[in-house]
Amino acid sequence: MKPIETRLARLARKGDQRAFAEIVDLYKDKLFHLAYRMMNNRQEAEDVVQECFLRVYKHLDRYDENQKFSTWIYRIATNLCIDRLRKRRPIYSLDAESSDHEGLDGYAMMPSDDRTPESELLLSETQQTIHEAIETLPVKYKSVMVLRYLQDMSLQEISDVLDMPVTTVKTRVHRGREFLRKKLEHKL
Amino acid sequence: MQKGMALMKCSDAARLMHEYLDQELPRDQCKLLQLHLRECPQCQARFRSLERTDALAHALPSVSVSGDLTDRIMKSLPKSRKPKVWTGWVQRHPAASAAAFFLIVMLSSFVAMWNQDEQLSVRGDLEHVVIKGNTVIVPAGQKVAGNLTIENGEAQVLGDVEGNLTIIDGHVTLASTAHIAGKVKTVDRALDWVWYKVTSWFDTVAYGS
Repeated sequence: MKPIETRLARLARKGDQRAFAEIVDLYKDKLFHLAYRMMNNRQEAEDVVQECFLRVYKHLDRYDENQKFSTWIYRIATNLCIDRLRKRRPIYSLDAESSDHEGLDGYAMMPSDDRTPESELLLSETQQTIHEAIETLPVKYKSVMVLRYLQDMSLQEISDVLDMPVTTVKTRVHRGREFLRKKLEHKL
Repeated sequence: MQKGMALMKCSDAARLMHEYLDQELPRDQCKLLQLHLRECPQCQARFRSLERTDALAHALPSVSVSGDLTDRIMKSLPKSRKPKVWTGWVQRHPAASAAAFFLIVMLSSFVAMWNQDEQLSVRGDLEHVVIKGNTVIVPAGQKVAGNLTIENGEAQVLGDVEGNLTIIDGHVTLASTAHIAGKVKTVDRALDWVWYKVTSWFDTVAYGS
């Protein structure tokens, strides 16, 4: 007996919309959480989730049933986040250099009022610090740490999702953890 | 033996701490680490803060997604997965697709040519007919020698036609005085038109007229 997602994917592939809606229900929260921690922006996170499901729907034929469905869907979502973060980076660095060019470099296109959702979560100060620390991690560490800590994935699963050796994942988790520890040091 | 364990380097201990937090440290190595921590306050402090960081990171609350996201996602999907099936077929059968595409192009150009031909054209004995706009009139008392063929026009026959009368894409009005020696034929559709072309070619071959 195949796992439920695989069976749902098979039904959805045959055009069963309700089966696909069930896949959406199963994964939307997890994917949103992932995207939100990666993007640190509610609107962008929703866009990523929406685009992710659209891709899954379009490419259901390419899903290999020998692979875990979750690995496949997480790979699509993380890649979307990484792509967006890489595109976003020059905008931030421009912004850091000078604020005179605001509006010229596309920074103004980012809705800044959407970027303060932490207050609504009533995080403790230390949680806030951790969250900020994750936000400042370079993309390659960030994706590993988010999958490890916010999705509770094993190192092996992370290596499957990100398509990199387990040893690399391990090194990144260790460095990421040290980074967070140093950020927290004077707060603890 | 125990002394040797206590002499573990702090850098090695740091690696073991991370492996412990990864839940990948074998039991015997756990013991080694424990022994080192007992004797090294610096590593002990480091381990505590790492453990704390790890726990706090795991405890970050998940964020709630807006309630209508499923609906919005389902609405954003393409209506049917059928087109994908179709393109899949194209990918699997490139030769058949090319042939089908060629056929479509040929057919459409043929139809286009057929539609282009919308001007009135009259073949036959033009001396005894009157053309008014789109209407070809055979006046009363006039006698058209041989066949008369009208394309894209109306025919109004008051007099005589000694051969066949053929109207392609048009109508014929026969007055009571009209007399047509041969057959009256109206052709309306592309297929009939093709059939007409083929039979007229055969007529030409068979009778040389």
